[in-house]
Amino acid sequence: MTEVVETPSASEDEGLAERPADEPVPRAPWWKILVAFAILVAAYFTLQIAFDFLRDEDANRFLIAAVAIVIGVAGVFALFWAMNQIVDWLPSRLRENVRPYVFIGPALVLLSVFLVYPVINTIVLSFKDARSKDFVGFENYEFVFTDESMLRSIRNTALWIIVVPAVAVTVGLVFATLADRLRRGEAVAKSMIFMPMAISFVGAAVTFRLIYSYRPEGFGTNIGLLNGIWGGLGNEPVPWLSETPWNNFFLMVIMIWIQTGFAMVVLSAAIKAIPVELIEAARIDGASELQVFFKVIVPSIAPTIVVVTTYMVINALKVFDIVFVMGNAQSNETEVIAERMINWFFIANHDGRAAAIAVVLFLAVIPVMIWNVRQFREQEQTR
Amino acid sequence: MTLAAPAPGVDLDADAARPKPDTVGVREGGWFVRVVILAVVVFWLIPVVGVLVTSFRPEANVDSSGWWTVFAHPFRAGEWTLDNYSQALDAQGFENALLNSMAVAIPATTIPITIAAFAAYAFSWMHFPGRDALFVLVVGLLVVPLQMALIPILRLYVGGGQLWGVHVFPDLNLNGTFLGVWLAHAAFGLPLAVYLLRTFIGSLPSSIIESAKIDGADDFTIFWRLVIPLSVPALAAFAIFQFLWVWNDLLVAYVFLGGTQENRVITIALANLVGSRGENWHLLTSAAFLSMILPLIVFFSLQRYFVRGLTAGSVKG
Amino acid sequence: MRFRTVMVPLVVAVLALGACGGDDDDDDDAGGGGDSQENTGTVNLLSAVEPEEGEAVQAIFDELINSEADYTAEIEASADFEEQFQIRAEGGTLDLAAVPQPGAIQALVDDGSIVSLEDIGFDVSGLNDLMGESFVELGVIDGEHYGLPTNINLKSMIWYPKDDFDAAGYTVPETWDELIALSDQIVADGGTPWCVGFESGGASGWPATDWMEDIMLRTAGPDVYDEWWEHEIPFNDDAVAAAGERFGEVMFGEGYVLGGAEATPDIAFGDAPGPMFEDPPGCWLHRQATFINAFFPETAVAGVDYDWFPFPSIDEEGVLYGGEFTVVGTAANRPEVVDFLNAYISQEVQCQMGGVEASSRVSPNIDVGPDCYANDILADASGILTAALEDGTGRFDASDLMPAEVGSGSFWTGMLEYMGSGPDSLPGILDEIEGTWPG
Repeated sequence: MTEVVETPSASEDEGLAERPADEPVPRAPWWKILVAFAILVAAYFTLQIAFDFLRDEDANRFLIAAVAIVIGVAGVFALFWAMNQIVDWLPSRLRENVRPYVFIGPALVLLSVFLVYPVINTIVLSFKDARSKDFVGFENYEFVFTDESMLRSIRNTALWIIVVPAVAVTVGLVFATLADRLRRGEAVAKSMIFMPMAISFVGAAVTFRLIYSYRPEGFGTNIGLLNGIWGGLGNEPVPWLSETPWNNFFLMVIMIWIQTGFAMVVLSAAIKAIPVELIEAARIDGASELQVFFKVIVPSIAPTIVVVTTYMVINALKVFDIVFVMGNAQSNETEVIAERMINWFFIANHDGRAAAIAVVLFLAVIPVMIWNVRQFREQEQTR
Repeated sequence: MTLAAPAPGVDLDADAARPKPDTVGVREGGWFVRVVILAVVVFWLIPVVGVLVTSFRPEANVDSSGWWTVFAHPFRAGEWTLDNYSQALDAQGFENALLNSMAVAIPATTIPITIAAFAAYAFSWMHFPGRDALFVLVVGLLVVPLQMALIPILRLYVGGGQLWGVHVFPDLNLNGTFLGVWLAHAAFGLPLAVYLLRTFIGSLPSSIIESAKIDGADDFTIFWRLVIPLSVPALAAFAIFQFLWVWNDLLVAYVFLGGTQENRVITIALANLVGSRGENWHLLTSAAFLSMILPLIVFFSLQRYFVRGLTAGSVKG
Repeated sequence: MRFRTVMVPLVVAVLALGACGGDDDDDDDAGGGGDSQENTGTVNLLSAVEPEEGEAVQAIFDELINSEADYTAEIEASADFEEQFQIRAEGGTLDLAAVPQPGAIQALVDDGSIVSLEDIGFDVSGLNDLMGESFVELGVIDGEHYGLPTNINLKSMIWYPKDDFDAAGYTVPETWDELIALSDQIVADGGTPWCVGFESGGASGWPATDWMEDIMLRTAGPDVYDEWWEHEIPFNDDAVAAAGERFGEVMFGEGYVLGGAEATPDIAFGDAPGPMFEDPPGCWLHRQATFINAFFPETAVAGVDYDWFPFPSIDEEGVLYGGEFTVVGTAANRPEVVDFLNAYISQEVQCQMGGVEASSRVSPNIDVGPDCYANDILADASGILTAALEDGTGRFDASDLMPAEVGSGSFWTGMLEYMGSGPDSLPGILDEIEGTWPG
């Protein structure tokens, strides 16, 4: 592999593409090939210079960002173009077999190094002990499915992946559909829902502290909105976050609040892509607005709904920070799978158990993936 | 869904009564639409308003009375202050952190978009063995918890990767460099990017692609001249999410860039403002708003791409 | 067709290569010990200090160390210390870290993520005299020093509203019985003696373990205390149960605790002392470490509005403290690191750090006298700590010494459960904690 890290893929695909260069090439204009090679060579040296520059800690941040944008867009594009030119040069019967890999190659290489390798690493760790020294067989998995706290986390996570996507997608869809009909103020309304997405996690933690905060009698006035309202109605303050099992739902509200913006924006874009004629035709046929919604809009954007739901389910599977900062999960019984994983990994320092929990997360996503492949195939048939 | 039920009736009647020539096929909302929208917006805004109000209150008040109490006497002296903002802005190295955040976020947004768009096109319109399996693998990677990936990657960054004594991943010493963070963010963002873009690109009418192919265009040309312009809304949508994610990320930047005054990004600066025991949590309210400004600018500037017309273009194409 | 058949295996091969690469990393150049690396020009100290304190410490480094050295020492104050520390240590990028939980050191030694002071050529011979053997020994594993004590803080403190306290005619108790008598007196006078709060986000419960430790140290004595965290006696031993019952005596005493014991798991530890500053005081006593005055109202004046007395002795004498051990990551096997560590624990630098007004830390260096401290509370605490380090009655926070599953897990949750379920639940809870002690 070369030292050019931006283009680890380049060497792979290029290496393959180069071999047939020895064979006589039909029909390829010679200058195009030269240019393609020149670009690859130039790219190599440019990247090396850029690489050294980017490693220079004293360099101006603005300049770094500028160089990075050029590399990120122009450089990456040039890379694809050059690889594509070289593919053009292949014998025609090979050309179209190789080209798809040129298109997905860089993505696959990046993913292999940054995600697939860690996954395999995790799987190996899940069969080892706390310090990743000796293999312990299925001991860690046995723990995952017998520990009381783990079982609670699995139950809670099941709740999360049902409730959060259901509410977020429903609200997002209804909101996107209705906002589409506003004469004015659509952008403003959508921005308001979207705003929580722009708040960093520490910001969100503070936001909900101002809502759920609890102080019993004698510890001053309650500064949390919920207890403010509750107390205003003449009740004793309630420690919302330790009210098992309702506290799970109070935590889910936070995630719904943050994520609905995502669902709404993506679904809104999809709704806007529905051909106007389609909706008009339905209306002319006498469909009510409700029928238009369920018979035209929802089926048209079904693939997008699948995507958004999938993304929400996966995010709900991975949620941990919300649970983590909002109290002692174990004594509040609000554990979720990913929170247990972080806890075992960073707090209790048992890498084996943490890895086994992570593997359970990977496995939990398989049904969602199967559902996706079905949708994927269906879309192929119908478009 | 039940909420939506009365809407159409009202809507339909209103429109039937006085059809509007300027509505391009979409019914405008009546009172019901407006009420629902308003209700949801208010509900969503309450927490934000709480933070906004709190960010302008003196620390002692924040701790001794609920933020909503200011509305009882909004003009009383001592109710409002800019201290939280000046304290957050005065924190050492704030501008530097802002600059670092930009240097991280912009490339970490553009790199994955370009790479993912090509992959998404291939997954949608090209045929090759293992396509479905690879696609599922890519999307399945969404579930990988970052925390499990950081240590192995860090080891690759500082020591390279060896397999049976052979260097298979070069020792690039990427730790503490922007490049290291971009690559990590780009890779972590790719699954969602490929997934989102494939859905959009894949749902383009096949007639466009087919006719272009008949006209002799190759995949690269189709992708660049046809698919990319048609996918602008999807690209814009992903750009927003990736930018927000990177901008608000604390962990990846912390691990690969470090938390020193020189290198830290804005989220780290803000988290450290509060301290590990949370003594200064009231400062977070102002800090949260300060760090929201840029993401919101990005959102508003890209929002104009979410417009009708995508399909109009494609029909002509 | 050849290319199609080549391409797929190639992709698979890339995946496989990437996958296997890191497993062998442990044997890489990241490994500890042996030859030392080049001077990189910077020594980084990752720490959980509060931001203001971090800035003050950096200023001292700049003035006293960096001005003369061929490197720059920087303190990196982190609000996410545990996670960052773990990732860097295991990822091989850690320079120095000030670890508040010596219990975590063993694991890092086991997997080679940190190196010993001996490995980097640090002279450990004078350490025992400089900081007290009982303290230094906590950082020693298999005869090698892996942690260098770089600060210490006093936990055995009971705070009270001094002006009101004096006006009410109360006197500072010197024994447990006097403390209970004082509590009864306060109840009889219509007040509430104790303010207690154990909520601390994901770490809720830790203030309760401090209570247990303070009592355990004074009922069972320092030797049994050591056996306890070393797990030579089980967690459900009678000695632990006796300490737990005494803890319950305060927590479940009629009218003793503001809001009652069952409310304490939900009261933020920072909010807990608040009522003490009301007029009349909502409560009169609050047990917490040196740092808690940062949470007191800004208008409260030390020595006037509030003061503190040491947690009284029970059957035995003892002083409970916490502190930090600086550990050396595999990336820090460099000569200038040794130079920095020596400068860092020197009397000059440590004394200067005591002068930081925002600080709540005390130097473990016995030579750093009370007059180094800018605030009287720290000066007094330093006197008690120095004496305890010298005579060997001081003991480190046990929960930070225990394996994390217990010390940062079941011990915390167990104590919270105890508060919620009442005095009778104690034996069951101790059995439960004992059950979580790792193999």
